[in-house]
Amino acid sequence: MKTNNIVAAILLVIPLVIYCDVWFFDSVGPSLGGLPFYYWFQILMLAVSGVMFYLAAYFIDKK
Amino acid sequence: MIVFLVVFLFFILLGFLGSRWRKGNLSKLFEWSQTGGVLGPYLVWFLIGADLFTAYTFLALPSLEYASGSLAFYAVPYASMGFLMGILTMPRLWRIARKRGYVTAADFVQDRYNSKSLSVIIALTGIVATLPYIALQVLGMQVVLETMLLGVANVGILTEISLIAAFLILLAFVFISGMRGITLTAVLKDFIVLSSVAIIIIVVLVSYGGFHSAFSALAAQKGKAISGYTALPKTLIPAFLSMFIGSSFALYLYPHAINGALSAKSGKTLRKSMSLLPIYGIGLALLTLFGILIFAVPNALAIVKSTANGLLTMPAIALETLPQSIVGFVFVGIFIGGLVPAAIMAIASANLLTKNVVMPFKKIKPYSQTKLAKWLTVVIIFIALGFVFVVSPTYAIQLQLLGGIIITQTLPAVFLGLYSRKLDWKALIAGWIVGIATGVWLVLLANHFKTLATSIYPTPLGPLFIGIIALTLNLVVVVVGSWIIDVLGARRNGIINDAEFAIKEEVILKQANATKGK
Repeated sequence: MKTNNIVAAILLVIPLVIYCDVWFFDSVGPSLGGLPFYYWFQILMLAVSGVMFYLAAYFIDKK
Repeated sequence: MIVFLVVFLFFILLGFLGSRWRKGNLSKLFEWSQTGGVLGPYLVWFLIGADLFTAYTFLALPSLEYASGSLAFYAVPYASMGFLMGILTMPRLWRIARKRGYVTAADFVQDRYNSKSLSVIIALTGIVATLPYIALQVLGMQVVLETMLLGVANVGILTEISLIAAFLILLAFVFISGMRGITLTAVLKDFIVLSSVAIIIIVVLVSYGGFHSAFSALAAQKGKAISGYTALPKTLIPAFLSMFIGSSFALYLYPHAINGALSAKSGKTLRKSMSLLPIYGIGLALLTLFGILIFAVPNALAIVKSTANGLLTMPAIALETLPQSIVGFVFVGIFIGGLVPAAIMAIASANLLTKNVVMPFKKIKPYSQTKLAKWLTVVIIFIALGFVFVVSPTYAIQLQLLGGIIITQTLPAVFLGLYSRKLDWKALIAGWIVGIATGVWLVLLANHFKTLATSIYPTPLGPLFIGIIALTLNLVVVVVGSWIIDVLGARRNGIINDAEFAIKEEVILKQANATKGK
């Protein structure tokens, strides 16, 4: 129970930490199909957030 | 036009059918306004998605990207972090709400701090922040209708008549089927909007040269200023961070978001669907990029420039790149995208008014509560319509900007209250006053007491979102104030026991089902 919650907390925090590090993704290159890194990286992170949050929810509810 | 009408008829049909779906006693407030809590993870996903990503959002974000560039992308981390906040707070609120029969956050606040005055304040803050939001949905729908009727005589009057007709129909089924009808229409709305975004993106990428040609057209027009579009200027990083963090805090303080969350079947359901909502945000992010893609579609750009209305960015692209039948499909999506959240917002505000503003002063029987909430929903919708038609829509935009700041000031009472019992109602009210006062004052200062267009204030730390500055002061007052009151031994304890948060969900559900029959 305890370890599950710790794992969940870590999974929840990772997207937050990455989004807060704006300096990391605030650049034009490498671009993807003409779209600057700044944009596509943030969109990609939405999908990553979804996966991480889903796993976190799984660990919280696992008995 | 025909496609628009056919889909809209289907929308009406779904709305009315909602009353028969998973039948419940709709004369009860909980059954009418929160489906009696029957929604599983996927329906909650559609409902909350439809609820939070509204017609106005679809129009405002591309407009912001078009006008001010990369800062608009704060909406993307917001679409992720807002749900992080949701996962941390809503299942906990759900549990205590189902245990004690709450339908609003203010219900919880009243018992948690044993204070009616604080509860009334929280309820009124929610209503004041939500009203302009509803008005903006009307504005968004107006924009769509006007684009569709472009070139027809008497566009103005025709649009107003259609809007009033649409809302009358909406109210009819909200009256009969409540949140059940809304949930079914939300699924339809999400399906149309998400597929529309996909269609337009593919068309623009394939036939209009996509981002390559958009950025080169942008470079030709903006010259050096293009750097504000290709990445975020370093000076704006504090603004970006505080905007997305502040908006994430605000998301689940809005009454309509909480209303959607409390309609879920269980806390587990809620966690599951909220964890997948950032995926919905991808649609929102792609929509925001329309503010750049419009530079690849010269005809659409011409429409936005000639009308000087950035809100037309998304409809103009649809109009210029898609065959007519699909344009009707896209437009009906945005149109319903305004109606559905407007209805949820009105229901949530009506619940607050009924349960937390009227009832503390006047006892009402359960069935009359539902009746009152239904009629208040009607009143609220008409206030919003009146706002757009009679008063100027620009006021709605300004009030919405203020709304985002003032709703954030309810965070200590609602979110911290879920985790700590050490706060005192007097300190919370003091913090709220300080937060609201600083928030409003800084907004006026930042805009030089003219039309409110920005919620960012230049501080020594860089430009910051005013909601966050005000919240920080608010929190300091709440924490220090509660500590002093505690030391003086003057704290008034709430009537919720901390152990109630730890009760197993199955036990709560069993108990809730047992009382349901009565």
